[in-house]
Amino acid sequence: MTVFLDFLTVFTHPQLLMLVGLGTFAGVYVGAIPGLSVTMAVSILISFTFSWDVYPAISLMIGIYMGGVYGGSRTAILLNIPGAPSAIATALDGYPMAKRGEAGTAIGVTTVMSFLGGFVGIGVLALAAPFVSDFALRFQPRDYMLLAVLGILLVGSLSTGSLVKGIFAGALGIAIGAVGRDPLTFTERFTFDFQLMQGGISFIAVMIGMFGVSEALTQLHHVNKDAVRQKIDRIVPSFATIRKYLPLSLQTSSIGVIIGALPGTGGDIAALMAYDHAKRVTKNPDRPFGTGAMEGLVAPETANNAAVGGAFIPMMTLGIPGDAVTAIMIGALFIHGLNPGPMLMIDQPDMFWFIVGALVMANCFMLLFGLTGIKLFTKIVEMPRSVLIPLIFLLSIVGAYAVNNSITDVYWMLGFGVFGYFMRHYGYPLGPVILGVILSRLLDDNWRRAIISEREDLGRFFEGILTSPLSLVLFIAVILIFVSQTPIWRWAKARVLGKQESI
Amino acid sequence: MPPWTGNAAFPAEARRFQLAGAGGRRIGEWMDRIETEHHDGTSDAAPGGYGDCRRPGELAFGLFLLIASCGLFWNAYGIAGFEALSSPGAIPMATTVVMVITSLIVVLRTARLPLTPNETLRRDILPLTVVLFTVLLVIYGVLLKPLGFLPTSALFLVVAIKVLARRGWGWTILISLGSLLLIWLIFRIVFSVLMPSGIVPEAEFIQIFRVMFSGGATK
Repeated sequence: MTVFLDFLTVFTHPQLLMLVGLGTFAGVYVGAIPGLSVTMAVSILISFTFSWDVYPAISLMIGIYMGGVYGGSRTAILLNIPGAPSAIATALDGYPMAKRGEAGTAIGVTTVMSFLGGFVGIGVLALAAPFVSDFALRFQPRDYMLLAVLGILLVGSLSTGSLVKGIFAGALGIAIGAVGRDPLTFTERFTFDFQLMQGGISFIAVMIGMFGVSEALTQLHHVNKDAVRQKIDRIVPSFATIRKYLPLSLQTSSIGVIIGALPGTGGDIAALMAYDHAKRVTKNPDRPFGTGAMEGLVAPETANNAAVGGAFIPMMTLGIPGDAVTAIMIGALFIHGLNPGPMLMIDQPDMFWFIVGALVMANCFMLLFGLTGIKLFTKIVEMPRSVLIPLIFLLSIVGAYAVNNSITDVYWMLGFGVFGYFMRHYGYPLGPVILGVILSRLLDDNWRRAIISEREDLGRFFEGILTSPLSLVLFIAVILIFVSQTPIWRWAKARVLGKQESI
Repeated sequence: MPPWTGNAAFPAEARRFQLAGAGGRRIGEWMDRIETEHHDGTSDAAPGGYGDCRRPGELAFGLFLLIASCGLFWNAYGIAGFEALSSPGAIPMATTVVMVITSLIVVLRTARLPLTPNETLRRDILPLTVVLFTVLLVIYGVLLKPLGFLPTSALFLVVAIKVLARRGWGWTILISLGSLLLIWLIFRIVFSVLMPSGIVPEAEFIQIFRVMFSGGATK
């Protein structure tokens, strides 16, 4: 019964309800405006909502997250520029549809399908998370350590760009997270004897720099590019259309939840997998894939919104984020004194059920804002970049300053902004850096706990891994990711495939 | 020869093998078909850089990362040396070793690639506006404390919007001050963020507003 009441918290407080709505509304537009990203918005918002209570702050951010994952599809359809990584696959068939003048239909179907997928994801989250957290209590420190490594590696290898650069970015993040005095022994690490580095680098400054300033600097290249105008007509899709694609959407939703629930993989991978699945199971599409097939739109959009619910599972139960956005959400929970992990589910189940409620609400608002206000939408998207970019800079500075009222944080943010700008240009992914910073502490603590409990003996440590099924599975997964990137893998694959062909 | 330097075409190949198994092979091809605005990482979805050639300055950046990684490794070694596996220096050393190795691989790979034929550092990587904005942001940071949030931001917005939009002074000043007022109202009142007030007596303003709106009802 209390569970039910906690779940209803959002619905019974008009203020929270309004914040979720506002967040979702803002999220849809942030996702849709090229140059603004969800990661940017959430990382800047963390510092602004710093002084709020937990519930309102989380409500706002969940709204933005949910709205943003959906909003990214808009630019993918209209401009062929995915507004968020999770919308890459949407562009493949969405943009051809828009070119045929069916942008309205594409947006309508996308909205309804995102809504369906979102609900599947939230449903699984509500059902599965309590069990996972019970199970997670049996995790050993070494399992947490392996999970953290796996998460960083997966983000590095699955985001576009080379794995080597991804691993570098992840390791850099862990190193940034280690700066300052070590919490266990109080030894100085990477401080170079500077007084101001002893407290460490504020991870919010790193986030805002990497996702706010560097993005805005990159946008300076395109100031004079005009927004593309598209005539958008009717967008509410007919019931028959929805019913026709319902079976497919349920399949791709489950793909989305499962992929989302794996630590380190989020909506982008889920969407691509789902697209691939749709391509395989659809025997006779009305149009070939890649030229505006409705299936190619339904699959990625259900999957990426289902992945939102999925991504909250490892985040809430293990404290391990799924992707850059969930990493930032974890940062937000940290800031408000909450420590995501199995103990959070036991000590404060109300928090979990509140988040589930907020997600449900955000999903409904998404449907509402997605199907209405299309006139306003075209106006906002056409906002000139020459005004937008300076405002992003201003907000980034205010955001970095506001958390600790320190100018030092502003300089850190600017430094990481410029650094991130170069990383973007030379193909280094930024997601692993943030994941590394967030997971640095968890990795360090659990490694030391694990190795101390094995009396500093590496042999015993590996024996422990080999004898525990869970650790073994995680360990093999880590090894596999490495092997899959070396020529050994291709060689082995060529041999196996070659043999099959000869038979 | 180490396995990863097997052949020069490997990076492009690696991109296709990212998702070993279902569908992985196609991501590389998909990415090529989507307009990613000049390959410069405009959206999170499409990080810049090319698989098969090197952009101007890419090698220098790689070398910088390699040298910085070596420096960090030396520093990490200084934390506790090889004292114990559970020492505070263990994870820093492990991560910096990874950084040194990966940045070395990146440098070796990058050095083998041909330079992109039609890109220059000045135009494609570091155009004047980017340098100018970096300088503007540093100046903003310096002025924020002594001058206060409102005057510094007003200056910054006017200069920035003037440079980017190239429209008349009247329009520029109106837009900058208007949006600044909006931002200030939202953050000061909704989010209650405290920014350095500097030379502008903000607190007094707000007090005047409060008195005005409460209409003197609450004394």
